[in-house]
Amino acid sequence: MSKLYGYAGKILRISLTDEDYRVDPLSVREARGYLGGRGLNIRRLYKEVRAGADPLGPSNRLMFATGPLVGTMFPTASRFNVSARSPQTGILGDTNAGGHFAPEMKFAGFDQIILEGACSRPVYVSVRDDEVELKDAEEIKWATVFEADIHIKRALRDPWVQTVICGPAAMKGVKYGGLFANQVRAASRTGMGTVMASKNVKAIAVRGTGAVEVAEPEAFRDLVLQLEKEIRDHEQYPGRRLMGTTRILTMANRAGFLPTRNYTSGVYEHAEEVSGERLAREYNVKTRGCFACTIPCSRVYTVRAGPHKGLHGEGPEYEALGSFTSRIGNRDLELALKANDMCNRLGLDILTTAGCIGWAMEMYEAGELTQEETGGLELTWGNGEATLKLIQLIARREGFGDVLADGSAEAARKLGRGLDRAAQVKGLDLIMADPRGLKGFGLGYMVATRGGDHLRSEPFIELSDDPRLGQRMFGVPEATVRKADKGKGKLITYFEDWCAVIDALEPCKNIMQNMMLLPFDRAAEAMEVTTGLKLSPQEVREAGARIINLERMFGVREGVTRRDDDLPRRFKETPLAEGASSGTVVDVDLMLDEYYAERGWNQATGWPTPETLTKLGLGFAAADLPA
Amino acid sequence: MKRIVVRAEECAGCRQCEMVCSFQHSGRFSPSLARVTVHRDDLNGLDYPVMCRQCSDCPPMESCPAAALSREAEGVVAADWQLCTGCGLCVQTCRYGAVKMHEGRPLICNMCEGRPQCVERCPTVALEHIEAPEFTETPEEAFRRMKEAWGFHE
Repeated sequence: MSKLYGYAGKILRISLTDEDYRVDPLSVREARGYLGGRGLNIRRLYKEVRAGADPLGPSNRLMFATGPLVGTMFPTASRFNVSARSPQTGILGDTNAGGHFAPEMKFAGFDQIILEGACSRPVYVSVRDDEVELKDAEEIKWATVFEADIHIKRALRDPWVQTVICGPAAMKGVKYGGLFANQVRAASRTGMGTVMASKNVKAIAVRGTGAVEVAEPEAFRDLVLQLEKEIRDHEQYPGRRLMGTTRILTMANRAGFLPTRNYTSGVYEHAEEVSGERLAREYNVKTRGCFACTIPCSRVYTVRAGPHKGLHGEGPEYEALGSFTSRIGNRDLELALKANDMCNRLGLDILTTAGCIGWAMEMYEAGELTQEETGGLELTWGNGEATLKLIQLIARREGFGDVLADGSAEAARKLGRGLDRAAQVKGLDLIMADPRGLKGFGLGYMVATRGGDHLRSEPFIELSDDPRLGQRMFGVPEATVRKADKGKGKLITYFEDWCAVIDALEPCKNIMQNMMLLPFDRAAEAMEVTTGLKLSPQEVREAGARIINLERMFGVREGVTRRDDDLPRRFKETPLAEGASSGTVVDVDLMLDEYYAERGWNQATGWPTPETLTKLGLGFAAADLPA
Repeated sequence: MKRIVVRAEECAGCRQCEMVCSFQHSGRFSPSLARVTVHRDDLNGLDYPVMCRQCSDCPPMESCPAAALSREAEGVVAADWQLCTGCGLCVQTCRYGAVKMHEGRPLICNMCEGRPQCVERCPTVALEHIEAPEFTETPEEAFRRMKEAWGFHE
């Protein structure tokens, strides 16, 4: 193998402490073994960030990586992963976004950018092809994400620069500060913005003039044209084009798993008023898309009257829409748009922000939190004014906002009560799907290598409720029945491996995974025509499993055991009272037993066995298994 | 004559036109190799692809000191690479900024010899290749028009 196509072939390593940088080559071996993106990040993070390293200290490293398909016309290939040790969870921090930043990295010539150490002054990193500079950021240190983006493009006199930016919340040390590309494309889970801010870096600004070459241009074009056709002909095409992910809200409510009033219900009586359908009908004016997207699903909305008149912007996605409506019991759609906009500007992770607010509201309504403790805020369900106020207080770490600025689990620990009401796993606040109505998702939350989140597995196929699929794919009919606990170990293992592959190649998971367009065999084909590397579908899946196992080991090194693979008590003991997901709870142990068996992990500890690690070429990590 | 017409309201800013154009003409992928450039305004979510509009008066053609640009039978402005000296005057004189230089040569749109790939592959039908009169709206003007129509006050 002489030349790697598809990849830029280079890794940029910036020492912030020394204000210096160097460029390393990407090896064929790591491209084969880890594919790209999320895979490249965990490979280096595992080796370079030791256990127990202070997440907000100079020994933590922040890694940005994209994949081999990005920077071409491969449909939806636009994404990047950011990884470090997380200040919110203490385990692997990892998050992913689209937009236009990742392809610009490739055009500048880099598959990965690594920030090491910490800078003694506030800076932003400017990368123009192979020219790397640390620019003074004193003036924009406390600027909002949007202001900083505009400032940087003006200062560099180049509107085509692509940025990722952390907001003032991250600068203030809120543990769930995100990173934002194109102002609103949020890579905001697990506090990666906070890590960047701790290094005194406000933004990375990239501009590249180079080109990406593919191994087999003709075959690559044929594959792209075929995928474009399949996307256009797909039954989900019209709904996604009109509403993006916001179409999920109505569906989740009908199926009874729409988290309502901090997961005390799975049905929201005002769902129709805050639905994606209503947003499309009354507020949306235009479509937007990420780079090279053939099914653009982002929407530009405008509010033409009322208290938020003049408010306009991109989004929200389902998680943000649901977060600021049903999750906090708010039926005012315009208020939700305002809250979404504020979080983007301040640079907050919306799921955690709304998770904290929803938790506080439940505590307040239950009489476990007093108005004295909230600083006078009346945290009744759906109190819009208090919600907007709290977002500001969180971003500034002021008053009761300071209590909520580290996530809901931490807030409960600070108060000494309410941990059972905190909807989180391993310190990461959960997403917008109640696991009592989606058991596989529940297992996914428990074992996800970055804490309580669905995007490590996203077993959407459960929504089919079709046992024939489970029988065919896994030999267990219940595997694809949403309220069944059985068979989910196989389901989640398969979908985790798949998601890891997608996150490594870096197209859009919504399209390539949810619409079933890039299964393992097709991913192998895409790798071959793009990069020239020949991998069997089985080898591609193994790369996914390798990523998962090494990420798990990152957690094990920080003390994760079977005990931590758990759900809040509510989901295990209290069935939902109404709706189509009522009457059942999650059988945690049954699902974990199945999952560990499927993964080849120790049943008692939940750790990968030395044999499993060695089989995946991760023998070096076996030494880190606790005695 | 047949022109590539922009429907700015429909453009999603995905830049697939840039990728398709680059691939069509060079077999590689880079915005720097594309004869089309998407102007994007992230604050307002607005987008506008700029490419050759086949103006009836073409300042680059008229000002080219090497007379390397001329009009073909279909009315399309074409370059004679034997004559082009790479002076870059066309980049400066195109009133829409539709010409870029790459490695000493201007990138001149040839309408893909009658089947513009940017039009065929645009996922939102924001581009059309139709008989149309000359149009003069700039991206800035289009952005202003949309902002007013949609009540954007920032």
